[in-house]
Amino acid sequence: MLRYILGRLLALPPILLGVSLMVFLLLRLGRNDPALDYLRLSQIPPTDEAVAAARLELGLDRPLPEQFLTWLWNALHLDFGHSFVTRKPVLDELLYYLPATLQLGGMALLLTLAISIPLGIWAARHRDGLPDQIVRGIAFVGVSAPNFWLGFLLVLAFSVWLGWLPPMGRSGVESMVMPAFAAAFMSLSINARMLRASMLEASGQRYVLYARLRGLSERRVVGGHVFRTALLPIVTAVGMHIGELIGGTLVIENIFGWPGVGRYAVSAIYNRDYPVIQCFTLLMTLIFVLCNLAVDILYAVLDPRIRQGQEGRL
Amino acid sequence: MRLKNGIAAALAAGMMLGGIAAVPVAAGAESTLTYSWPRNSGVLNPHLYSPHEMVSQAFVYEPLVKYRADGSIVPWLASAWEISPDGRVYTFTLREDVRFSDGTPFDAAAVKANFDAVLANFDRHRWLELISQIEATEVVDEYTFRLTLKGAYYPTLYDLALVRPLRFLSPAAIPANGNTADGIEVAVGTGPWKQVETRLGEYDLYARNEMYWGTQPSFDRLLVKVIPDANSRAIAFETGAIDLIYGGENQVSANTFARLQANKSIWTGISAPQATRVLAVNSGRAPTDDLAVRRAINHAVNKQAIIDAILYGLEPVAHTLFAPNVPYADQGLEPYAYDPAKAAALLDEAGWVQPPGGGIRTRNGQPLRLELCFVGNEAQEKAIAEVIQADLRAVGIDAVLVGEEKSAFLSRQRDGRFGMIFNNTWGAPYEPHSFVASMRQPSHADYQAQKGLPMKAELDAWISDVLVSVDEEARRDLYRDILTTLHEQAVYLPLSYLTSVAAARPNIENVTFGATKNEIPLETVRPATAR
Repeated sequence: MLRYILGRLLALPPILLGVSLMVFLLLRLGRNDPALDYLRLSQIPPTDEAVAAARLELGLDRPLPEQFLTWLWNALHLDFGHSFVTRKPVLDELLYYLPATLQLGGMALLLTLAISIPLGIWAARHRDGLPDQIVRGIAFVGVSAPNFWLGFLLVLAFSVWLGWLPPMGRSGVESMVMPAFAAAFMSLSINARMLRASMLEASGQRYVLYARLRGLSERRVVGGHVFRTALLPIVTAVGMHIGELIGGTLVIENIFGWPGVGRYAVSAIYNRDYPVIQCFTLLMTLIFVLCNLAVDILYAVLDPRIRQGQEGRL
Repeated sequence: MRLKNGIAAALAAGMMLGGIAAVPVAAGAESTLTYSWPRNSGVLNPHLYSPHEMVSQAFVYEPLVKYRADGSIVPWLASAWEISPDGRVYTFTLREDVRFSDGTPFDAAAVKANFDAVLANFDRHRWLELISQIEATEVVDEYTFRLTLKGAYYPTLYDLALVRPLRFLSPAAIPANGNTADGIEVAVGTGPWKQVETRLGEYDLYARNEMYWGTQPSFDRLLVKVIPDANSRAIAFETGAIDLIYGGENQVSANTFARLQANKSIWTGISAPQATRVLAVNSGRAPTDDLAVRRAINHAVNKQAIIDAILYGLEPVAHTLFAPNVPYADQGLEPYAYDPAKAAALLDEAGWVQPPGGGIRTRNGQPLRLELCFVGNEAQEKAIAEVIQADLRAVGIDAVLVGEEKSAFLSRQRDGRFGMIFNNTWGAPYEPHSFVASMRQPSHADYQAQKGLPMKAELDAWISDVLVSVDEEARRDLYRDILTTLHEQAVYLPLSYLTSVAAARPNIENVTFGATKNEIPLETVRPATAR
């Protein structure tokens, strides 16, 4: 088990290197010049001298391989450079904004689980009945509706019409409800459907039949045998949802004025703030990979069949 | 069970890391004016650029002289000035009743210290012609400051009116080495507001400067929330999370503003022209190298229809490159009236033949086709481009729309790969002098658009002359020649004059407009009197 985790961790540096090289090249592929964006933000007329001075100041005058190697060398020392826009160290700024995003993402994950699990069980218990149809309808809307659109609808309903919730800002739990729900809606829809499917699959298993034959109560059959087995795919899904939710906050944070990394990254993309985009992508890759790893480990811990299979292999 | 515990622990960690921040709540009877801006300002430094937002710099720091909406320059921290006959020496008499918000007196020594701090970072500021022109700064007596230039540079006062870099930080806040470029500890200016607190991604907070020499702001505090998205800003305004929407592009979309205008309980206003929405027409490239084609374009486009349909009537129609309120720009030039028949006649006369039954004109087998370039993700520009395309098509000109990313678009401006391209002017107080000065530089769309003109060399010489002209009349004549030539040669298609818009909730009143888009006179805003 330990060797497995170690192996996975050793794969991390090549992944991060690959991602950073790709992002670095993609950013520089277009006919883009961040020096012009820098001047636009500074409201300096883009004269030849001004552009040349800005390129020099931002380090964009050097050849590409040199730029990348310098960046890589500094990154190895946890120095991700200074933002073109704010002129502050990128890592400091990202870490400043990260807690707000984790908070929103955490709340969204909590909502996802708290809503999708009851919905999934309800739907599975009443297969093809009215509850199943209702959940199917919710899931259909949830998967199809873009989260920013949903976000604006929520604001319209709960802030503009009803006046119950603040439209934006980070001022208390009430300011978190709408953004978290908007970010979670798609994940919870998928989750509910998935739980329904795996519950139905699990209830067709022989051990469920045997449990019934043993005369166990329906409650124990569903709770102890069907639900526990059906939960396993959900664990995998949660790993993916964490990535989805944090990715989803990119847009959500802009709509709800939530001071997190997502909003910071979106304005960085808009302003071609290369150092921020590079560092942000790396951070997201790291979070994604670590979440997947955590899920895989959790999976092994939860399911004796997998644990034993792996130990047999190792 | 282990699973549940794990998730709970992860969530708890997230919550704790998060820690919910509170928006400042005014203590007691303090009154707060709430505004919003897309970005934070950070600790405001008057001598630096991004991320120091110009509007915020103008809250805290003040210039020697101020630009007015009618194009005139009026005394501000300097109560009077004298210019030597050769135009090289400017002697400023300073106001004696001004103190910085930390109590330090504003005097000639403070002015010199700030000029010297700016000059210490010459390269950063050399885009501004005045910086390259400064030969010496001198304290004559306690309240007299003298600026000596290398040559006669007439726009000196306009450059001094800019929001940056020549505004004044308290000498007590200037680092010991006299260099402000590496950052300052506190933002201390002479302006109506002083900076109190800045929270990244959330807000910037200002308080009234009790020592302000001018009219004190009515509100105790000014809270500027960070709201990057224009739709979110509109919602914040409608739900009362902010009191005021004010600004040029990006504060609010035209259709949202039109909706607010219809709401009787909300005060709305539109500023005087602040810059020009204009397309450059390339005289260095076929088919727009033909004067008849350029003139035909100017007659073929229905500007008023564009303004009514796309800009919701918020911008006045433009017939010349600069608005009449720009210094020296009111030359009485005759507008190119919207007249498709005249456009068609001009093209016929120039030998561009339209096939029977309409369609694209040709001359010697060459179709009358040009590229119309805009920024792809700017919906408004795209819509305008489409209307222009349709108008041109009606007279037999084929405009191919090229929508690209901002940077790719800017590089087209720089190397002249366009038939027509959006190229807004820089606005006051850069107009007309800085804008025409840049027409001499090959990296500007203006140069590219003008380079096919037979009189381009002459035009550039006039521009160089006007910048160092000492005689007011000669200057006026030169500007007349420059602007008349550009107008007659039809190398621009002016559409409208850009404006700032403002919307105020019923709880505030007396919102006024600044002369430039970066100076927002929030000190005039008052809590509404009971109705």
